[in-house]
Amino acid sequence: MAARRNNPSGIVPTIQNIVSTVDLDCVLDLKHIALHSRNSEFFPKRFSAVIMRIKDPKTTALIFASGKMVCTGAKTEAQSKLAARKFARIIQKLGFPAKFRDFRIQNIVASCDVQFTIRLEKFACTSHGAFSTYEPELFPGLIYRMKQPKLVLLIFVSGKVVITGAKKRDDFYTAFDNIYSVLAEFKK
Amino acid sequence: MGDAFCSDCKRQTEVVFDHSAGDTVCSECGLVLESHSIDETSEWRTFANESGDNDPVRVGGPTNPLLADGGLSTVIAKPNGGSGEFLSSSLGRWQNRGSNPDRGLILAFKTIATMSDRLGLVATIKDRANEIYKRVEDQKSSRGRNQDALLAACLYIACRQEDKPRTVKEICSVANGATKKEIGRAKEYIVKQLGLETGQSVEMGTIHAGDFMRRFCSNLGMNNQAVKAAQEAVQKSEEFDIRRSPISIAAAVIYIITQLSEEKKPSLKDISGATGVAEGTIRNSYKDLHPHVLKIIPSWFAKEEDLKNLCSP
Repeated sequence: MAARRNNPSGIVPTIQNIVSTVDLDCVLDLKHIALHSRNSEFFPKRFSAVIMRIKDPKTTALIFASGKMVCTGAKTEAQSKLAARKFARIIQKLGFPAKFRDFRIQNIVASCDVQFTIRLEKFACTSHGAFSTYEPELFPGLIYRMKQPKLVLLIFVSGKVVITGAKKRDDFYTAFDNIYSVLAEFKK
Repeated sequence: MGDAFCSDCKRQTEVVFDHSAGDTVCSECGLVLESHSIDETSEWRTFANESGDNDPVRVGGPTNPLLADGGLSTVIAKPNGGSGEFLSSSLGRWQNRGSNPDRGLILAFKTIATMSDRLGLVATIKDRANEIYKRVEDQKSSRGRNQDALLAACLYIACRQEDKPRTVKEICSVANGATKKEIGRAKEYIVKQLGLETGQSVEMGTIHAGDFMRRFCSNLGMNNQAVKAAQEAVQKSEEFDIRRSPISIAAAVIYIITQLSEEKKPSLKDISGATGVAEGTIRNSYKDLHPHVLKIIPSWFAKEEDLKNLCSP
């Protein structure tokens, strides 16, 4: 994990958000949880899950009656797992036999800056046009759907790039390496 | 006059064709071999100098290859005015209830035709939109979608493919009940469907401000000089790093050009109405353009002093 920069630019994308899911493996009484914890909200008419937040790591969890939980907002994989464990601990303390099954990271969002402005229209016209969608009327960024690894990059004129859809850290490092060499051709 | 086999004489005999009654008569025994023969020569005479509008030989509209039967079937229309006739109205009802595999298609084509009429589009674009809609409909997954947005998006894609793009706002104005967001989403969906069907053949270039220049300028009634200057200005502005939607840049360039010309200057509100760009956006785009105005506006159109007199944002 150490020498990651085979990319001559030395730019490393920073993770902004990690979404993970875990199965607590027991049926939950959402009303009971909502009434007995202070940092949660539950509006069954709007959404059938309890929304709970903790301060450290600063994360939000959606807890469903089936026992499944979605944890969002963490900045590293370790933090996401720790936060999920903390949520599970809260549910345990409330009296439910919660376990920690199948912790899985579903999505990682990262962003970075290539430090130069990019000609998006030229980019969309080339052989990469098959993977790109650029509609300045609808969205100012170019949406690049990379096939290998399978994720989506949002590329903006300012040179900022947002990478999303990765399940592992290495995926988006590879993706950024691939895209950097291509983007350099379209420097303004 | 000819020879045919007569069944009474049991041999080939000379046969007379009587045109008045359409009978084929054997000349030897008088037996009528064929009666009421149908004359297949032309019913009308057509002259070279007559107008070609009502050629009686041809009937019905052009065949539509997109419809199941080529559009050849006859439809009973609803009688307008007092429909006291029980027969005609119930006939219409019976026909409509019958199996008509193309009914949805015909309705959709009619809607597309209405929309393209309101925008003043040529038949090529309308036909292309029909074709796109048919290709999307063939894949059944488009059932639950907002039909209006889907049709509007077909028209939008057709305009783009013919290199005569229309802004989404313009399409919005003729599509009843479809918002910009819905049309955008429908457009992405159609592009994906067409890409699935034929491996990635959907070609649509990105829009440029210059594509819309002519239309916006003529809506505002600018003279030829101004239009030419505006087009040149927009070409030059693409080289600069201005991070705005091409439509907003077009609107701001029009604003600058009209401020520089001596004739009646359209207000921001007029430009906003013609281009569909909000007034605040035109002002902000003008702020972005102002630093480069000397390089963008062609020198034959306005001198430097006029440019300096341009109100600074």
